[in-house]
Amino acid sequence: MGTYILKRIVGSVLILLLIMVVTFLLMNAIPGSPFLTEKSTPEQIAMAEAKYGLDKPLHIQLLNYIKNYLKGDLGTSLKMQEGTPVKNIIFHQGKFVLSIKLGLFALLLAVCLGIPLGCLAAYYRGSWLDGVLRVVTTIGVAIPTFVLAALLLVVFSVKLKWVPTLSGSLTDTKSYILPVISLSSYYTCYIAKLMRTSMLDAINQDYIRTARAKGVKTSGLILKHALRNSLIPVVTYLGPVTAGIITGSFVVESTFSVPGLGKYFVQCVMSRDYPVIMATTVVLSALVIFAMLVVDIAYKIVDPRITLTTKEE
Amino acid sequence: MKNTFAKISPFQVDPEKIMDTFGIRDDDFTAASSQEKESMVEMHKSISFWQDAWRRFRANTVSMVALFVFLLCLVFAFIGPKLIPYTYADQYRSAQKLGPFEYSKSEALVRSVQKSADGFYATALRPGSLTAIAKGDYFVRAGGQTYAFTMAKAAEKSVLLLKAGDPEPLRLVAEKDIENGTYTKYTAMEVSDTPAQGATELKLTRRVFPHVFGTDSQGRDIMARTMYGARVSIIIGIMAALIVLVIGSLYGAISGLCGGVVDFIMMRIVELIYSVPEVLIVLLLQVVLKDPLQMWFQNHSATSAFVRAMSDLGAGIVSIFITFAVLYWVTMARIIRGQVLQLKKQEYVTAATALGASNARIIRKHLLPNCIGPLVITTCLQIPSAIFLESFLSFLGLGVSAPMASLGSLCSDALETISLYPYRLVFPAIVLTIIVLTLNLVGDGLRDALDPRLKK
Repeated sequence: MGTYILKRIVGSVLILLLIMVVTFLLMNAIPGSPFLTEKSTPEQIAMAEAKYGLDKPLHIQLLNYIKNYLKGDLGTSLKMQEGTPVKNIIFHQGKFVLSIKLGLFALLLAVCLGIPLGCLAAYYRGSWLDGVLRVVTTIGVAIPTFVLAALLLVVFSVKLKWVPTLSGSLTDTKSYILPVISLSSYYTCYIAKLMRTSMLDAINQDYIRTARAKGVKTSGLILKHALRNSLIPVVTYLGPVTAGIITGSFVVESTFSVPGLGKYFVQCVMSRDYPVIMATTVVLSALVIFAMLVVDIAYKIVDPRITLTTKEE
Repeated sequence: MKNTFAKISPFQVDPEKIMDTFGIRDDDFTAASSQEKESMVEMHKSISFWQDAWRRFRANTVSMVALFVFLLCLVFAFIGPKLIPYTYADQYRSAQKLGPFEYSKSEALVRSVQKSADGFYATALRPGSLTAIAKGDYFVRAGGQTYAFTMAKAAEKSVLLLKAGDPEPLRLVAEKDIENGTYTKYTAMEVSDTPAQGATELKLTRRVFPHVFGTDSQGRDIMARTMYGARVSIIIGIMAALIVLVIGSLYGAISGLCGGVVDFIMMRIVELIYSVPEVLIVLLLQVVLKDPLQMWFQNHSATSAFVRAMSDLGAGIVSIFITFAVLYWVTMARIIRGQVLQLKKQEYVTAATALGASNARIIRKHLLPNCIGPLVITTCLQIPSAIFLESFLSFLGLGVSAPMASLGSLCSDALETISLYPYRLVFPAIVLTIIVLTLNLVGDGLRDALDPRLKK
């Protein structure tokens, strides 16, 4: 287990490094200079580039990035908030916290709602409840996040005025409701579908029949015997969910005007603020990769039969 | 019958007696006629793989309904634009910001003319739209008569009104006059019944087509745009799925068949791409590729038809394809590799190898055809995910660029005015959802039909 975790951590760091390199190359492939405006003269551009070290050869720039990142220095913003250290922009202006909060709530909702719904559907298989849930979840995975977000916005903020239109910095509880729902709906539905299938699978196993014959109560049967065994596919899916929720946050944050990291990333890609792009990419990637790592370890805890070290079919 | 049996048998057995005992008659041993044979053979007509799959698919009501609805969507997207008189890019003046089934003032007038029993109107270009009539000779046929006339100067946005029984039957009404309500001041025109040589025929129509989904702030018909957007989205979905199919299946098959170090390295690459948060890279790629692609289009469009086709699609869409080619084939590769690992142990692969078939031939002739189930299923399920990605990018302002539309960009445009005109979002969103939903359901049905082992 220890060696596995170590291996995975090393692998994750390597992937992060690779993402840095790719991002760096992509950033530099965007034609034009970040300082190119209508007014600027070539001299001004050259001066600005020299100031931020953009005139150096590419590999030296890249090495500088990596060196600074290892020191924990994420550089300073070139354009969006000129001169401000990127670390402050991401971590101290509440962007990171906002996005994380939003993402965590959405993840929590998806798990806490999706798993019970899936279990219910499996347990009452063939009943009206199963039918309704099946229809809802099937439609749920077919509605794009931004459509749902916009529709919720129209119905609940514009027409019914129950919640504020602009969620802003999510200061009160009410403003969380719509962003979290729209961010998590797809995953709630997907997890419910996944859970139903794997729960049905588990219910039909011999050990459940044995337990039932032994006289285990139905609630105990589902919660203790079936649930634990049917959780594996859901746990595996949580890695992609994390990535997806970060993706979704781009849309949800723009729709509800939440000044989070997702919205900011889109803006800084457009304005070619190199250090901010790099830092946001690395931070978000690190989040996703970390989530994947946690999921893989959780996977092992949920199902001790899985051996992590050997990888052969 | 002569008893020959007794000679070789150590026991005295009389076959006649045995036959009598068991009720066997002599004619039981005569050869059966071909007719008799046929009646005995209980053979079903042999069913091919696809027939079998189709039989199973057809039995699945949900998938059949989904398939039908998806076909309707295809009709809506590909044939629909030909049936309605509006185009996705044309801006119809005075028809801005109309709700569903509303008419602009001039269109309403035309409708009222039509209602008055014998009214007609004619426009220069397409029926139903009010368009400019250029300078020149024209003729219109109405009520069994030909009216020919000369436009001395171009008339902008006007309607030709024809009223039977009118002393001056042909009237040209400018749209401006219609809007101001001064259309009674007709501009009379000289009319003859013989068209001049080279005269253009003006299309005559009796109907104004309603703006079923309303119009946007620039006066573009939302239904036309939704149809066009659906077409763009579906094409993107299918193209992206095909790219994924080609790259993913080849990669997976090679990795699975070669095994060993090759497999190890190829699978590490897959894992790497799998763990990269793709949307971050997608966003960067979109921005990076836009300008170089446009440059490339400009420089090469004269030389190759392929580049022309690509440049018609636009840089945004082509970069979506590239994104799929770079990042999204990994799932397909994994699935196909798993299949190939199982298949390559089969005897027919060994036999092919023994006969000296090359790896390429084994992949092409033996492995991929045997993976057809997973290939079809994964490709089908890839289409909605590509449509999702495209709409997501268009929503963020990347993807397709105006006046082109995709379902995502339509939703995104609608969002700006969502509180005033929610229907602008609702229609494209519903179409998008229906397409994705039906494709998902068809994919599920295909899975059950093609790979019954997977059915839970």
